[in-house]
Amino acid sequence: MQLAATAISKSFGSTKALQNVSIALEPGKVHALVGENGAGKSTLLKILAGSVSPDGGAMQIDGKAYAPRNLREAEQRGVAMVFQEIAINPLLSVAENIFIDRLRHFRRGLFIDTAALDKAAQAILDDFSADVSVKADITTLDLGKWKCIEIARALSYDPSMLFLDESTAFLNHKEVEVVLSAMKRLRDRGLAIGFVSHHLAEVRMVADTLTILKDGQWVGDFATSEITGDEIHNRMVGRDISGSIFPPKAQGTPSAPTLSMRDIALGHKLTLGQLDVGAGEIVGIAGLKGAGGESILEMIAGVVPPKAGAMRYLGKPHQPASPSDAWNVGIAYLPGDRAGEGLISEFSVLDNLIMAAPPRKGPLFDAPAARRIAGELMGRLKIKASSPDARCGSLSGGNLQKVLLGKCLSVNPRLLLLNNPTRGVDIGARHDIYRVVRQLAEQGLAIVLVSEDLPELIGMSDRIIVLRGGAVTYEFTPEEVVSEDQIIRHMA
Amino acid sequence: MSITNSPAQPERKGLASLLRLEPEKLRWLFPVALLIVLAVAFSLASPRFFQFNNQMIIAQQAVVLLVVALGLTFVIIAGSIDLSVGAIVALAALAAATTSATLGIWAIIPAGLVGLACGLLNGAVIAKGKVPSFVVTLGAMVVYRGVVLYFTRGAPISINDPGFLDLYAGRSLGVPHSAIIALVIAVIAYAILERTVFGREVRAVGGGEKVAKLTGIHIDRVKISMFALLGLLCGIAGLLQSARAMAATAQLGEGLELDVIAAVVVGGTPLTGGIGSIQGTVLGVLIITILSNGMNMSGVDPYFQSIVKGIVLILAVFITIDRKKIGIIK
Repeated sequence: MQLAATAISKSFGSTKALQNVSIALEPGKVHALVGENGAGKSTLLKILAGSVSPDGGAMQIDGKAYAPRNLREAEQRGVAMVFQEIAINPLLSVAENIFIDRLRHFRRGLFIDTAALDKAAQAILDDFSADVSVKADITTLDLGKWKCIEIARALSYDPSMLFLDESTAFLNHKEVEVVLSAMKRLRDRGLAIGFVSHHLAEVRMVADTLTILKDGQWVGDFATSEITGDEIHNRMVGRDISGSIFPPKAQGTPSAPTLSMRDIALGHKLTLGQLDVGAGEIVGIAGLKGAGGESILEMIAGVVPPKAGAMRYLGKPHQPASPSDAWNVGIAYLPGDRAGEGLISEFSVLDNLIMAAPPRKGPLFDAPAARRIAGELMGRLKIKASSPDARCGSLSGGNLQKVLLGKCLSVNPRLLLLNNPTRGVDIGARHDIYRVVRQLAEQGLAIVLVSEDLPELIGMSDRIIVLRGGAVTYEFTPEEVVSEDQIIRHMA
Repeated sequence: MSITNSPAQPERKGLASLLRLEPEKLRWLFPVALLIVLAVAFSLASPRFFQFNNQMIIAQQAVVLLVVALGLTFVIIAGSIDLSVGAIVALAALAAATTSATLGIWAIIPAGLVGLACGLLNGAVIAKGKVPSFVVTLGAMVVYRGVVLYFTRGAPISINDPGFLDLYAGRSLGVPHSAIIALVIAVIAYAILERTVFGREVRAVGGGEKVAKLTGIHIDRVKISMFALLGLLCGIAGLLQSARAMAATAQLGEGLELDVIAAVVVGGTPLTGGIGSIQGTVLGVLIITILSNGMNMSGVDPYFQSIVKGIVLILAVFITIDRKKIGIIK
């Protein structure tokens, strides 16, 4: 099945999300859409899959007009989509999640024939070799398996064409492999696959062809084998950013440790013998989700107290009873879940930026000072917003992440805790974030970086420790040249 | 593309799209428009409606509702609710009535303290006990009302102190003193919400409690403070109500919580938290009061009046609610 879309345009209010973009998908090929946040990738996928209607342009499937008014009409033409947001109901079984809208097909009398339902679901999962059992308790499965269940849901419509919107964004290394190999198997069975990812490494691994978008406009179509990663970057961003996007690392050994941890026990399995973070040093923590990196950050930030052990911060014992105790002494925490933990999206950029330390005159809020601080932070981090009063909800992912980092900087911290600081962030914004983080280290901040993005961890950290199942399995010295494979070996 | 910036938001439905208005603007325009419509309609229906004396009666009727609604605005913006306000008002009225004979105008101190104590207790159980405010204040409503019944045995306690009655229920140049007190409180409440760090913290708690906590805001302190503030205002409202009725009764303030919540919501402060304003609450209180007063003046069947009030409340929520947050309405 071939899908051709010509001169697609779409506006949301005054924002032109897509202008005259054309794209063609072929059976048995994986076609990637790449571009920065806001380039129009997701919108284009959603138009192709019928969830958004274009303002202009035409689409054809095998030469016949294709104008789906909703997802269901697209499914009837053999087009299915897996959305970026996780759409799994943890209260339902695996099979119920897959056939959620067709449970009545499995009726027997008044009740649902669970055996038949499970059998049908397992058949789909096995069909693309997803390692998921319908008998499994869905709450115990990891995000990668959940994505596989969502893919199975899309496949249950028996599509000839499948779209995946950032299906790997929130997954860890192992989970990403699960999804990528599922994509390859489906391609080999003759499906046409369209997907969006911010990770060019993934694009290069699975995509046969790719379309680059920039600011809603078509930049070019390429065979993946004919274009280098740097070229893709440059065309996405529209300027030359070849070479490393990571700034050069610190020279020399750090002075006295800003933070030191001894004999820590945390949660039900995490133990940490000794970890020091020096001023000016970026310490990276690698590990799969649940290995303990996030828990360590939360402990330092005062979210969860350790069960045993001692922390010292700037030479004094550090026993925060709440996050405010940590912020008050200059420890800033950038949480991993931007929408749920990091920012209030209906508040303005200014409201979010100064939330941790609102400038005051006595009990009163000092509004002029707040505007000044917000303006400075917006300039320093290159936050693209119409004004400090713009609602955060109207900003792109990269800019939101910059606002979040700005909030951390507003307290002039001595210790910065970063939990996946560039999740779902495009290359241009990553560049800005990496630059600022390294500058902070050069100014003497101690920084702990937990990231599932291994190139980022390697590129940014002066020193990396690897966790597996709550214990340190390896500590790389600053002199060691670290490769992704080495880290993976210690963490999986 | 990020989760929060999905450009493919569903098309906005309903009245908002018909009028091509942003919900932010609508939240403001709706109460203003409704107030104007009501004023015009009632002045056509009854020539006495716009007379100075009736206006002052409206002001007097609005006072208790306004003082409590100002406090509740903070609580609702922070994403909580308080159903015990009517009972606290009754308890404070009882405190004012019993002490007015000995303390005179200074009966405001026991009344205020009783309200403050009730609010502190509510806030402490909600914040420290991590129990939803709906449940805590539902229970507290019954408890506080029970305390009133226990002490009064159902009989009213009358107030005779002339100084007390003159200060809190009298008029100067035709303007009720209670209305002036309520206006001063409204200005203070506005300043607290809009100009202090505490006001911003209240908004942050309502906008995203987890975000606020991880940003270092003392969630518990904010919650206890705002319930205490509401309790204090209920105390003052109870005093004003007892002065107007020249007595504290066991039934005083019954059903007040519903009118107050209606006033706050009609004024454009949605129950979803994070947004809302004191100005809106003032408008909402006027709307609810004028609705009652105007319907009485125009001779609308009193039994029919509740139907109208209920419809206005649902209409207000329908128009002002932030549907983007609808998935997490508590």
